[in-house]
Amino acid sequence: MRATTTTLLESSPLTVRELARAVGAEDQWVMRLVEVEILHVDSPTEPPERWHFRSADLQRALAARRLERDFGANLDTAALILDLQSELRRLRALMEAHGLA
Amino acid sequence: MDFKDYYSALGVARDASDDDIRKAYRKLARKYHPDVSKEADADAKMRDINEARDVLQDKEKRAAYDQLADHVARGGSPDGGFRQPPPGWDEGFEFHRGPGQGPADHADFSEFFSSIFGSRGGAGAGRGGQRAPYRERGEDHHAAIEISLEDALHGAERQLSLRAQEIDDQGRPHLVNRTLDVKIPAGVRPGQYIRLAGQGLPGHGGEPAGDLYLEVRIAPHRLYRIEGHDLYMTLPVTPTEAALGAQVTVPTPTGGHVDVTVPKGARNGMKLRLKERGLPGKTPGHLYLLLEIALPPANTDAARAAYEQLAKAVPFNPRQHLGA
Repeated sequence: MRATTTTLLESSPLTVRELARAVGAEDQWVMRLVEVEILHVDSPTEPPERWHFRSADLQRALAARRLERDFGANLDTAALILDLQSELRRLRALMEAHGLA
Repeated sequence: MDFKDYYSALGVARDASDDDIRKAYRKLARKYHPDVSKEADADAKMRDINEARDVLQDKEKRAAYDQLADHVARGGSPDGGFRQPPPGWDEGFEFHRGPGQGPADHADFSEFFSSIFGSRGGAGAGRGGQRAPYRERGEDHHAAIEISLEDALHGAERQLSLRAQEIDDQGRPHLVNRTLDVKIPAGVRPGQYIRLAGQGLPGHGGEPAGDLYLEVRIAPHRLYRIEGHDLYMTLPVTPTEAALGAQVTVPTPTGGHVDVTVPKGARNGMKLRLKERGLPGKTPGHLYLLLEIALPPANTDAARAAYEQLAKAVPFNPRQHLGA
């Protein structure tokens, strides 16, 4: 079997429905992620049908799903953990880039 | 392939309750989470406990796994190794995704897990024609692909082999090996996802197949480190080059070379920027050179004499600020 269509999410972003399917969730769950600012959309006031999500959003949605399931975290707690995690990873990458790690 | 003991992976007894399993998992997940763990094999341990939790917290998967474990304990394999589950091992079980168990959770699971539950960890819907026909789009599937920095810079075509579960004509699940051609776009960065439309799990009742999402990982490079769109490289320079300034030739990630001016009085750790020589893209990254002053070895009479002459000519106390 051969792949026919290959797209990078950066050039072909996901809709709410597609992101929900990719993480095994409902559309409402994705909307809740936007509400608690785990996901950021360009214009939150626009109808959800017009929202678009890229790789970083898929990564965060998957991580939120795991925190919710594995630790029973509510989405506000998950949002805080994800922010701390991304700051930690940013600082570690910076240290590594400067040969300090 | 070794038989995996999921109970010992979580450190729980065979008759552990769901609550015991949840508690054991949470404790170990905190210990081995790659962001906080100091253990050398944290990634592998995390994968093992995720996999064990996935099976033991799902009633149907756990029952099927227990049956398989009993078979192996009765001498199911002569060499103590584990090749494939015996035919009919999963009779009477159907695996379903529990709430919140996305298909993404299985991207990193072991070959052992795939051999039992398929690479998506769930299956069996409609088996044996027992269920009423239904229509459902196939689930999306996740996997990861590791590429070299060179492939990320130039783009590439790679073949990817995946083991996946499919449903045969009799409605029974079986494993198939699939080979996919994957086009890696130039400028792809770690953590980005490539989507292969229609390469997820097959749909039911004429509905389309799901998609396959590949998370891009970039293998560590001998010279360059990646930070977002930017690349970093350590550039060794001599004390003379740092003090007096110099033109030095450095390799670029795309395979060429470029002349770089080291400014007069350059210091250790100073960062030089080569604009837009990082990862390509709509906003190209930069290549940063981190200066590292390398001392010439004082291992000959001439070298020792030169150092002594420098000390006489340039009295210099690098510890002055210490008051020493």
